Amino acid sequence: MTMNRAMQMRWRPHRRSWVLFWVRLLVGGFFIYSGAMKAIEPGEFLKMVRAYELTEQSLVLNMVAATLPWFEIFCGALLVFGLGVRGTALVLLLLMTPLTALVLHRALELQEAGGLAFCAVRFDCGCGMGEVGICRKLAENGLLIVLGLWLAMGPRSQLTLWHRLA
Amino acid sequence: MKRDVDGILYEALVVALVGFCAALTANHFSPKGIKLTRDYFPSRPSTDEAGAFDAAGVQRSLVEQIEARLRLNNLGMVGLTEVEELFRDPRHEAEQVIFVDARSRRLYEEGHVPGAYHLDHFYPEETLAEVLPAAMAAESVVFYCNGGDCEDSEFSAIFLREAGVPGDRMRVYVGGMSEWREHGLPVEVGLRRSGMLE
Repeated sequence: MTMNRAMQMRWRPHRRSWVLFWVRLLVGGFFIYSGAMKAIEPGEFLKMVRAYELTEQSLVLNMVAATLPWFEIFCGALLVFGLGVRGTALVLLLLMTPLTALVLHRALELQEAGGLAFCAVRFDCGCGMGEVGICRKLAENGLLIVLGLWLAMGPRSQLTLWHRLA
Repeated sequence: MKRDVDGILYEALVVALVGFCAALTANHFSPKGIKLTRDYFPSRPSTDEAGAFDAAGVQRSLVEQIEARLRLNNLGMVGLTEVEELFRDPRHEAEQVIFVDARSRRLYEEGHVPGAYHLDHFYPEETLAEVLPAAMAAESVVFYCNGGDCEDSEFSAIFLREAGVPGDRMRVYVGGMSEWREHGLPVEVGLRRSGMLE
């Protein structure tokens, strides 16, 4: 009995680190994929950034379109390899939250212009996944934010490429 | 606890700075990288003149908005009937009338107006050496993109005008590739003059 409990106590952190590992792969993989889709056609991504009508300053638009895709790939790779996981997750949270608010704002504009039901609004938000329904997009982003929050606040990752940098 | 939070914040700062530098470097070396100082959207229509509402506050249709925007940028517009006539005109075969597809390379290869040149204003250096002499020699140059609110045809036209092609020869086919396909007009796939029709 005592031995079983001791084994369970040793096992618990190990199992949690596997969960952490899979969450890292999921979130990291998502950002690598979405970043790569934008980096393949940065011109198309630039058009979508411009469509949000936040600024007409070409330098600002170009800077966002030039760096965001590669920045996502970089952060995704850090999560996959388990390097600076908590800091990376925090950065992604700080990125995702305003971007999600922007997507929501644009969806509301499209809903008003088209007189549609909210979940019937579909558009390419420049998120690297092509045209998607807004409700699916918001659910996806919500899940990523929750997982990112858990990675940022959770324990230090164990299954990493270099444990000292986890 | 405070030490832990400080550690995460420090880590986030390092990730953000290193990530930003890495992203700039990757963009610089990417063959499709964005040129930071270039203005990719040279037309700047004022909202009053080409916006969703006219001076009297009456809502404009999409076509009216596009027409106003083209006028503002000194570009002509061409509709389906005329574009079809131009396509069937013997001058098209003689390259006196040319079509320029302003969409991405991928979309161009998926299907374009037969014989159309390709000029993606994001990467003009890819095809400019071929398009510019043809446009200089042609009597009429018709630009198109997907249609609807797509602006790539306008930007490509402005780019060629700045490269020296007289503006009065250039017109934009607003209906674009989607209208062309909808009307069952011929579509060439692959490279220009590939001879492969859809």
